[in-house]
Amino acid sequence: MMELPATRAGHIGRALSATAILLFLAMPIVIILVTSFGADGIGTFPPKEYSTHWYEQMAAPGGNWATSIALSSLIASLTTVFSLILGATAATALARGRLPLHTAVYGLVLAPLLIPQVVIALGLFLFFEPAGMLGSPLAIALGHTVLAAPIAILIMISTLRGIDERLEDAAASMGAGRLTIARRITFPLATPGLIAAAVFSFITSFDEFFIAQFMSTPDTRTLPVLVFNALQFDVDPTVTAVSAVLIALAVLALALVALVRKLGGHRDGRNALPVEPLA
Amino acid sequence: MAGTALAPGKVRVKTSAMRGHRSRLALVNAVPVTVFLLVLFVYPIIGVLSLSLKGDSGGFTLHWYADALSGVNLSVLLSTLRISAETAVLSLLVGFVLAHAIARMRPVFAAPAMLIVVVPHFISALVRTYGWIIMLGDHGLINTLLTSLHVPGAPFPLLYNETGVVIGTTSVMLPYTVLILQGVMRGVDGRLLAAAAGFGASRFTIFRRIYLPLVAPGIGTAGLLSFILCLGYYITPALMGGDKQTVVAALIDQQVMQQDQWNSAAAFGVILLLLTFAGLGVLGLAKLRRKKAHARRSSS
Repeated sequence: MMELPATRAGHIGRALSATAILLFLAMPIVIILVTSFGADGIGTFPPKEYSTHWYEQMAAPGGNWATSIALSSLIASLTTVFSLILGATAATALARGRLPLHTAVYGLVLAPLLIPQVVIALGLFLFFEPAGMLGSPLAIALGHTVLAAPIAILIMISTLRGIDERLEDAAASMGAGRLTIARRITFPLATPGLIAAAVFSFITSFDEFFIAQFMSTPDTRTLPVLVFNALQFDVDPTVTAVSAVLIALAVLALALVALVRKLGGHRDGRNALPVEPLA
Repeated sequence: MAGTALAPGKVRVKTSAMRGHRSRLALVNAVPVTVFLLVLFVYPIIGVLSLSLKGDSGGFTLHWYADALSGVNLSVLLSTLRISAETAVLSLLVGFVLAHAIARMRPVFAAPAMLIVVVPHFISALVRTYGWIIMLGDHGLINTLLTSLHVPGAPFPLLYNETGVVIGTTSVMLPYTVLILQGVMRGVDGRLLAAAAGFGASRFTIFRRIYLPLVAPGIGTAGLLSFILCLGYYITPALMGGDKQTVVAALIDQQVMQQDQWNSAAAFGVILLLLTFAGLGVLGLAKLRRKKAHARRSSS
């Protein structure tokens, strides 16, 4: 960090440019939130009249939106379960054990975050198509797990590294069995990390577009696929309300993770959120 | 407290038997993820590779690659590379300015600023792209503002062209560059800069000769990473681009979904894969070279 005394002009210039860039990042999100309450729907900002019409339309039972929200929730829940199982085991191996081929396994785990998603989606399409599994929520969830599990694993590795192994050793020295240690010591200490991993697996799946697009059929379209179609082909103003809900969901999820981490004693907010794929 | 004295037999120390147990445990635990990724990640990608080399009659052919690297297809590939490069450079420049400003902010301001960088990253790219579509239209916020300020030429065509795509994609890549640059900037030792100033170096010289070389690895990583991530990116170009075939990923989607041209799509996939590997290779080599240089310096 520069520790030279700042010139006044430099200071003001930096503050202005930083503000402009932060606005650049935040504006699209603010615009969506405001537009979703606009009575006239698409495009005009700020809206002349306000209403909750699009939200009512979105929630209409039996409609396209409600159906795809339910489908996305189901797929995201399955993905979360798969990712947690893979995450807990893989993180134990990578963070705690003396794993032969450690680098190879670690590389394999990171690879899905760096390989173009369209290639992964194409590969999964070729894999599931002959089995007649296109459109199956289970198949889509398995596909999403390819992307979500690495994130869950990275979070759990950092969680396990943060737990003082001497606590486990101490328990062992007092005669606790391996299972008791896992249940009474490691698991409670790892809970904030587990929750974070679950939340991020869920959002990763809920927001995922490529794999869902390649593996969907007209009957099974996840929420992002439906949003994409709405934006590309038919201009349905309901999509503003759906977008606003997606924003709210992401913010709530992040708040939940931050809260759990804080309660779990992570005062250092710096690494509270994982941003994949940091090399 | 009762039972403070431990029976000697119950005290365990880490023995070689325990280490053996640890590596066995690690092996068992590594199995699920390894099997899962080999079956649902590595094998499907090998499937893409083999499909791209398979002729109509089943034999080996390079036909699909020749097809992908000629005519309209080649121009799509080149425009993908161009858009990725433009986006990488722009997000690097913008990211550098922001990361540098955040690094010098007081914590009261730096924390919320980082929040504004990180939170959008977790909001669906579709949603953020939609926000840009509303903002950049002829009657969107930006053009309305420019028109009311009587800027000559307004409203500008900011949407459904490459300008729009690069603006939208940059906003998606920005969190990565800011976070990486933040990391290296935080690691720069302020005393080095102060020492240079003590020797009479000007601000510009300090920036160019000391600061920039120290953060250079981060610049390289951030730039290459956003380039790689852009190569296969689709959402923003598909929604904000002019015609529907501006990037390779969109072409792949179209070939699979509408034209059943799987071989051709696979060839494009492999080309994207090779470009990504090339980028990652450069990153890895640079890291290796730094490590070696570091080892040389510390050994001499």
